[in-house]
Amino acid sequence: MKFGKRLKQQIEETLPAWRDKFLSYKELKKLVRLISSAESPEFGKADAGAEFMYLLNNEIDKFNAFFMEQEEDFIIRHKELQQRIKRVIDTWGPGGTKPSEAEYKDEMAKVRKDMVDFHGEMVLLVNYSNINYTGLAKILKKYDKRTGGLLRLPFIQKVLQQPFFVTDLVSKLVKECENTIDQVFPVEVEAEIVKEQREAITVAGKGIFRNTVAALLSMQEIRRGSSTYGHFSLPPLDFPDSDLIHSFQLNSPITTV
Amino acid sequence: MEARPALSIQRSGASQLSNHVVAGGLSSSLPALSTHLEETCQKFPNTQQAHAERELMTRHLAHATLLPANNGVVGHIFSSSSGFSSDIHYSSALPNEQNSRNSPFISQSPINTAALPLSQSSNSLLPQSTIPSHRNKENSGSWCTDPDFLDFPEWADQLITGDDALTSNWNELLVDNDMNLEPKTAYQVAKPCTTVPAQTQQLPSPSVESHSVVIPSSSANNAPAKPRMRWTPELHEAFVEAVNQLGGSERATPKGVLKLMKVEGLTIYHVKSHLQKYRTARYRPEPSEGSSEKKLTSMEEISSLDLKAGMGITEALRLQMEVQKRLHEQLEIQRNLQLRIEEQGRYLQMMFEKQKSGLDKLKGSSSNPENPPAPSDATNESPTKIELESSQRGNGNSGTGTVNAKSMLERSPQEVCGEHTTPETVDLEKAETHVSESSSQQPSKRPRLEE
Repeated sequence: MKFGKRLKQQIEETLPAWRDKFLSYKELKKLVRLISSAESPEFGKADAGAEFMYLLNNEIDKFNAFFMEQEEDFIIRHKELQQRIKRVIDTWGPGGTKPSEAEYKDEMAKVRKDMVDFHGEMVLLVNYSNINYTGLAKILKKYDKRTGGLLRLPFIQKVLQQPFFVTDLVSKLVKECENTIDQVFPVEVEAEIVKEQREAITVAGKGIFRNTVAALLSMQEIRRGSSTYGHFSLPPLDFPDSDLIHSFQLNSPITTV
Repeated sequence: MEARPALSIQRSGASQLSNHVVAGGLSSSLPALSTHLEETCQKFPNTQQAHAERELMTRHLAHATLLPANNGVVGHIFSSSSGFSSDIHYSSALPNEQNSRNSPFISQSPINTAALPLSQSSNSLLPQSTIPSHRNKENSGSWCTDPDFLDFPEWADQLITGDDALTSNWNELLVDNDMNLEPKTAYQVAKPCTTVPAQTQQLPSPSVESHSVVIPSSSANNAPAKPRMRWTPELHEAFVEAVNQLGGSERATPKGVLKLMKVEGLTIYHVKSHLQKYRTARYRPEPSEGSSEKKLTSMEEISSLDLKAGMGITEALRLQMEVQKRLHEQLEIQRNLQLRIEEQGRYLQMMFEKQKSGLDKLKGSSSNPENPPAPSDATNESPTKIELESSQRGNGNSGTGTVNAKSMLERSPQEVCGEHTTPETVDLEKAETHVSESSSQQPSKRPRLEE
């Protein structure tokens, strides 16, 4: 139930528009339990397996559709952001009209915030992909375990090829975004100041930032250790600056309409 | 799921090459297709697939003249899709074999276009159990649905009715691996396919299975009308070009853009929805924070970060960036790990079955139940190769990989039947801890943890 709880948490804390796009882990688990406990020969393995597959396929369709839709959006917004930055720089630069410095700074600040949020949203999509994949892998493992089936291996191979799992393009956009931000907003003395500030920071609201922190913490929790550790399990997550992440205290989720 | 899988067989079973052929073949000449191949190949970041398609393309161009105009197009879909789907099969996934598989279909295509999908799908079958494609990359574009199947209503209907049987066969196939499904499936396959030639006695194609998962559109009703397109930056560039030529996002019409873009496989629906998104993005830049949330003023958004007073906005953003970068990094690592795990699992499965078949042979001659030396030698190179290829830190892995394969092989006689999970738990745990991205101090045998 550990993963189920984590997933639920993530769903609660994610962007509202995304909430119903995640894996229906609980329902699938219930089905698996139902299948394994069914003893009547009429409700045989074949039917149950078929039903299970049908649901899984629906889930995968859901992921694919949502993922590709978001991806398309990201492609458009990415380009727009690049153009917007260029415009702002040009306007203030040598060739363009020169508005006041305050305006420039204001514009740049807005652009920067938008870019950072955009970056975060893309990363959240990659996270979405990942957590759904993890859920699928887990549910398949449960299914095989309970029913003695051999569904997991071939099915997961197919999942690996699905659009929602192939996150290469989004990752590429993420990196491009990072590069742009690094170029346009170069890191100066700020870095040291930030590193020194290790005090607790309250992250409130439903910002993208909050979501990414939540996602990261969740990921760490999920991978902390498994009671059914097998060769298909991932090793525990360990990354530097984990204390930084932990220093973020998340408020209780504020659900929005 | 009823209507969709049927069309998805064709849609997604056919490679993007055949998609282009369908859309373009009717009106344009075949040589034109090869020029579009480049552009559309860019839709998908797979040079491997592009090569496969060029192969298919050149072959089909040669055969195209044999077929009548319309049938030629349809024949292209199916013959190329048969080539493609046979391409994805595990046991015979060599480019050379595509050639041999394609020719029978090409010669059949004039016979009955309606029968083709089922015959080709059944012919490109695996006689054995469902170990699906190891050509992961090539399939990434396979779900790309294609264009206007509105032009082929008759056989589409037949496909729709035919597919339920196939899908259920496939489900059974996957669930009951040991059962002999042939009599059942032969019956069920024969039912809807009245005009199909006699070759369809085999089990339903894994191309069905791999593609029914990839059903493009989530709506069951308008399946032919709204296949989903996966956009790429290059495609978007072309789109923006076209829009600008037409005078901007407000003045451009989907039809005009579609015509200007000249991209095979692109439908007006795709362009329409994309244009809508484009317009929204331009005139409400960066709504951010999810689409359904209330739009806050920028000051409110910034203060929603609610950081300590000491931190300026800039630092806040920097911090946010750091966290996001970190998350992304971890996600990538996790994804790679997951890929490798499955790769390994697949490899083990293969070795396991190889081992099993080897043992069955041995059992006949009352020799000891140990491995003959040959297979274990064969495994020495491959696990090492896999470990080295996929591991970013191949230091300890090659050794462990060899050890793992060997120990697995030694244990497999005890586990011949069925439990495919147990041999894999062998020493892969050690491999797991080796491949973890940072040195983990915990031992490989993990105690049960309660959360």
